[in-house]
Amino acid sequence: MQSSAQTADEAIAREIERVIASEVDEPRLKALLESPASFDLPLWKLAVEQGWPGLSLPTDIGGLGLGWRDLAEVAQVLGHATVSLPLIQATVVARVLMAADNAQALRPHADTLASGNAIVSVALMEPGDAGLAPVPNLTLKGDTLTGAIASAPFANVAQLALVRAQRNGKAVLALVELNEAVTRHTAALIDNARAAASLEFTEAPALVVEGASALGDVLALSALMTAFEQIGGAAACLELAKSYAMEHKAFGQPIGAFQAIKHKMADIYTAIEIARGCALEALQELEQGSLSLEATAAARISASRAYDFAAQEAIQTHGGMGITWEGFLHHHYRRARSLALELGSTAYWRNLLIDQLVAGAKV
Amino acid sequence: MNPELDQYREECRAWLNENARHCLLQDGMTLDEEIALARKWQALKADAGYAAITLPCEYGGAGKSELHKIVFSEEEMQHRVPRQYFIISLSNALPTFLHYGQSNELKCELGPKAVRGEQLWCQMFSEPGAGSDLAAVRTKAEKDGDDWIINGQKLWTSWAQIADWGVILTRTDPTVPKHKGLSYFFVNMKSPGIEVRTLKRFTGDQDLNEVFFNDVRIPDSQRLGEVNGGFMVAIHTLMMERYAVSSVNAPLDEIIELAKNTKVGGEPAIHDSAIRETIADTFIEQQGLRNIHRRAVQAISDGGSPGPEGAIRKLLMGESLLRAGKLAMDLLGAEGLRAGSYNRFAKSWLNAPVLRIAGGTDEVLKNTVAERILGLPQEMRPDKGKAFNELP
Repeated sequence: MQSSAQTADEAIAREIERVIASEVDEPRLKALLESPASFDLPLWKLAVEQGWPGLSLPTDIGGLGLGWRDLAEVAQVLGHATVSLPLIQATVVARVLMAADNAQALRPHADTLASGNAIVSVALMEPGDAGLAPVPNLTLKGDTLTGAIASAPFANVAQLALVRAQRNGKAVLALVELNEAVTRHTAALIDNARAAASLEFTEAPALVVEGASALGDVLALSALMTAFEQIGGAAACLELAKSYAMEHKAFGQPIGAFQAIKHKMADIYTAIEIARGCALEALQELEQGSLSLEATAAARISASRAYDFAAQEAIQTHGGMGITWEGFLHHHYRRARSLALELGSTAYWRNLLIDQLVAGAKV
Repeated sequence: MNPELDQYREECRAWLNENARHCLLQDGMTLDEEIALARKWQALKADAGYAAITLPCEYGGAGKSELHKIVFSEEEMQHRVPRQYFIISLSNALPTFLHYGQSNELKCELGPKAVRGEQLWCQMFSEPGAGSDLAAVRTKAEKDGDDWIINGQKLWTSWAQIADWGVILTRTDPTVPKHKGLSYFFVNMKSPGIEVRTLKRFTGDQDLNEVFFNDVRIPDSQRLGEVNGGFMVAIHTLMMERYAVSSVNAPLDEIIELAKNTKVGGEPAIHDSAIRETIADTFIEQQGLRNIHRRAVQAISDGGSPGPEGAIRKLLMGESLLRAGKLAMDLLGAEGLRAGSYNRFAKSWLNAPVLRIAGGTDEVLKNTVAERILGLPQEMRPDKGKAFNELP
């Protein structure tokens, strides 16, 4: 991405960056952290007006026809600004619906996602598991769902949820409208700006997304695009830490002149560049139509680590200034954890990676 | 990526498949045998235009691009041929001589000899008191008519014991700040007054040397660059190879096989979560570096420069080998302690500290990342702006 000339992905991402910078300031982001399940509705309305939900969706469903690389660039912008908009969710879900064996039946939903008329929550996680159990507890009987889903981002404002459920003892993907057969529970989270809610279904009507690869695709695409969001956040932490280290003085010189700080910065930089390398490697596979599980897992694990590490060490670099509510670092510290857990924790992804490597598919 | 380059890769591959088998390293070879083999391999490559791919043709090179060299290196790494002996000679020392040398006649004579491996060049920079702080060299060169007289001691010089020529950084003016009083020369390593003592590394390798200079007289025509302009020439030497293909990667596939086939207390080792974590970390690091390498090659191919992130490759290599070597030894249990070439894991563990020191210690490389890439300020330096001979 750095080496290529300015492309469409750069242009649209810079435009989104500009809009976000002019719309969103720190007090607004702090207000979102104050109460549970907050959502920046005015910003979302603006995003819909500008066509962001469909930017990486095909034109025949009303999208702008750009690709994954463009969305990856936008995801970095969101991550950098700690802005929560369900753009990755809209794109990934619409694409998976369109690729399903029963795409025709699902098509109206893909259209509403592309236009931004509906928000979808990718709600795959269940209570009591840090990853995905082979067979979920949420159960599909006939056309209705019964059971519960763990806290999922955007579930408090979404009209649709994409869930994992068991049908005849096997895991399937199901799209469910969040109507009166669904109860949303919100709670105070460490990162309240994710519009998150847990969901309880009582015989809620659902549409199965048929197709052998649907489940794997949702998980892999969400994880990969989120990796770019994490990388954007981590890069922001490094920038904040760096500027503080250059201006704050101790013992007669900027603290950035001390090797203890320099080496910390170099370690953060290294973690970010490894994550970026893994994510770009996976993106290239995706563009060539062969995204592997090990490339996805490497991107996911390295990006989760880079963001967590960058956020925590940026706080340390700031000393006391790092721990105030007024300071900005806790936004990243919180968001790093949200993004690391919402799609399954590192332990889960590491197992996926190792099982794949042991199977000898590719090293 | 590029049809011409793909074609070149095919040619390299075919040539290597045909020729590498005549020059494979065998377990238990003596140093002399390995060096003889390395010279033979170098001559074979020279005949085919693969010995010094980026050097101009008049000096025995192939006059091709950096990308061609990267492609050949990637393919050559697939064969167990001797690669280490001529790297500094041909990638750093000789190109500096060819760039700054004053006599074209001499360059046309010595260039091809070095390229063919008939002669070897060493690089004499480090000293007992000048390693990471290169500009602190004390070995002095004093003007005597049209000659220079060199006295002092160099350290960590690779292959000085078999070198025919060497490039050397010396102090020519101690009354100015340290970077400004250095000059750069090339010397015949067989000159009277040069004494080479070989050091033995704890791995048993005997590539490193101390080199003593005792009234070694060389003509001014052997100066490379301006008088007192030697530090810039030294930087040029170190930067000569913009992009080196790293040759040392932890053998992850072998480690996974090992983890599948060994046990820890009766349980398959691959079920152990700490072992899984180390394997995952190693894979992730290699995956990230693979992409960084790919982008660097793409950038060069597009006529640009590789991004700064390439700087982390060397930083991660040593640690990665150390970690992977230790893991493999742990998997082997008490058997993992066996030394010798049949336990390459123990060998790579023994070698790892060298990689974390040679060519820039981990600590210096982290400073470089912080200062050059991130733009953080230099540490307070008591030597800044002071004449070399007034330093404490």
